[in-house]
Amino acid sequence: MSDDIAVGIDLGTSYSAVATVLSGKPEVLTNEWGERTHASVVSFLEDGTVLVGNSAKRNIITNAENTIYSAKRLIGRFFFSDEVKKAQAVMPYLIVEGPNNGVRVQVGEKVLAIPEVSALVLKEMKAIAETALGREVRRAVITCPAYFNDNQRQATKDAGRIAGLEVLRIINEPTAAALAYGFGKDVSQRICVYDLGGGTFDVSILEIGRDVFEVIATAGDTYLGGDDFDDRIMAWLADDFQAAHGIDLRRNKFCLQMLKEAGEKAKIEVGRNGQATIHVEGICQTPDGKVLDLSQSLGADAFNRMVMDLVQRTFKVCDEALQSARMTASDIDAVILVGAPTRLPIVRQSVRHYFQKDPMAGIDPDEVVAQGAAIQAAALTNRGAAVSGQVSYLLDVTPLTLRVGTAGGWAEAIIEKNTPIPIEKSKTFTTSRDGQDRVRIRVYQGESKRADECEFLGEFEFSGFRVGYRGDVQIQVTFEIDSNGIVNVSASDSETGQKASTTIRLSSGLSETDILSAADRNAEVVLSGHAAS
Amino acid sequence: MDPFFSIEVETLSGALDQIDYFAVLKLTAAATPGEIRAAYHRESRLYHPDRYAAVEDTNLRNHVGRIYRRINEAWTVLRDDARRCKYAADITGPDRAGKLRFTEDDEAEVKEARKRRAAEQDGQTPNGRKFFAAAQADAQAGRWEAAERNLRLALAYEPANERFKELLSQAEKNRPKQDFRIK
Repeated sequence: MSDDIAVGIDLGTSYSAVATVLSGKPEVLTNEWGERTHASVVSFLEDGTVLVGNSAKRNIITNAENTIYSAKRLIGRFFFSDEVKKAQAVMPYLIVEGPNNGVRVQVGEKVLAIPEVSALVLKEMKAIAETALGREVRRAVITCPAYFNDNQRQATKDAGRIAGLEVLRIINEPTAAALAYGFGKDVSQRICVYDLGGGTFDVSILEIGRDVFEVIATAGDTYLGGDDFDDRIMAWLADDFQAAHGIDLRRNKFCLQMLKEAGEKAKIEVGRNGQATIHVEGICQTPDGKVLDLSQSLGADAFNRMVMDLVQRTFKVCDEALQSARMTASDIDAVILVGAPTRLPIVRQSVRHYFQKDPMAGIDPDEVVAQGAAIQAAALTNRGAAVSGQVSYLLDVTPLTLRVGTAGGWAEAIIEKNTPIPIEKSKTFTTSRDGQDRVRIRVYQGESKRADECEFLGEFEFSGFRVGYRGDVQIQVTFEIDSNGIVNVSASDSETGQKASTTIRLSSGLSETDILSAADRNAEVVLSGHAAS
Repeated sequence: MDPFFSIEVETLSGALDQIDYFAVLKLTAAATPGEIRAAYHRESRLYHPDRYAAVEDTNLRNHVGRIYRRINEAWTVLRDDARRCKYAADITGPDRAGKLRFTEDDEAEVKEARKRRAAEQDGQTPNGRKFFAAAQADAQAGRWEAAERNLRLALAYEPANERFKELLSQAEKNRPKQDFRIK
């Protein structure tokens, strides 16, 4: 019985949600307390159990070293990347280097890979779905930002496997949102999905006619999201406080965390009421023992001035996507807003102004992605589709150009961005020395011709082909991007057609055995806060 | 599952390397961009891997996957005017069998041609480029007389440039008809 149901999971930077299709309609599943979205926070308790969700979020301050949040910012990254360095500076938990330049977090004695942390969030989502549906759930569609590269997608998929889920598909958040709105009623429409999440910003332009959802172009900024809005408020609060008391709150991780919470609360409040009062009692102590409070008030105008440049940056990305689709803002028939920060009046007004159109309303921007994922999950488990056809087809594209490294630090394009997926492309490589028996290629993703400005995916080594004079042996390397946006590389000898063996020499990902042992560990973890799991 | 469909899928998957992109999308080489797009959507409905995701037969799924990757490949080449022109010319040429798939060399040729054409259009000589750029600025600002003068100068360096001539005829048309200035 458990095989005919599949859920859609929106695995977000700050919040996650789970949904499934019940009698033809996508429904968000709630936990025992009726909560529809769940903080993507994992807190390791002293008794060895793990707390996930909104109750874990409270532990960010009280149990800071043992509480992990925003793991999505680190997933699929190399330890030497800027994002990891940035996280190390602001996160109160310990980020350490793992094997193969991977990223690990250390909680007490335990060292966890990032997919393992995300797997705990997924385990919670699975438990919520199982409690709500009263049955086992084994299969899921998981969403990721459109701009996620191969490593990040692969790591997300690994997280699903560790959580004991069969990952039917990794789909892009903006595409899922479009599916949830279920366009495609005969007329062909061009829609823009404006997805401002906690950590990333994505824009996708889709053309929808009848039953085909075609992604024309996608663009994004992985360093722009609601958290940056909070940072602005934080910086303003901290500067003010420093001017008044001469103490820099940013120097202490605990103060910083309280400051961050205050910033987030103020942002939501100012968005809802046009005015926010910030009051944090006992945020720090002066050297002579006096306890200081933080008190401020923030008006809508002041807030808008603070974040205007961030909002403007989103439209640069929109420009890029439209240009890539060979369209202008006036060609767009409808705009879908995704992500909680799009509730802010400043964002809504700016979107309305840019597209000269009121954005679509009807589905909660927090839930739209999970609902779309649920629709896709239902489609992928629909056995009748082979004969009768699907309700809709998703024609997705790859968001980043796939490149291989060449001599001199350059990266040559193999598969251009916005190419429909799944796709494969071959390139012929040749040996550069007599008697060479192995060829190495480095694979990148990104829009720069310089290899060091692109995201490095991994190094592959091919061997087992004919040995000959230099330039004599030709190796045909086939790059494939599958429906999940995950890259597969294989090679064969052009002349004999013999398959060369491939080894991945460098990758931040987990090996098959790592995943299996992590899955065992994950299965043993007891989630606290559930009646039975 | 329809047994005829399985046979059809297997045959098509096996024949993929012998047919051209137009045949993959079940089109003739004379197809218009609109028809190509419609064909892409039509074939997607039939061969999209999502449609067969729940089918247990892995063999069928693999064949469908292979066909659909080729459909996407065909679409990426045929949707672009420059690539389609080159491809259509290649497959009607003597080396048809070797040109059925658009390779990296073809891609490079298309890019090169595009660059060459852009360079030709903006002028091939430094002075031609300089006067043409000035003429474009003049035309944009509505100073058609100045544009005409600059274009004549540009054409002195590159008498055969089509784009220069085109803008010149436009400038001649737009410039004020009666000359009221004292000569």
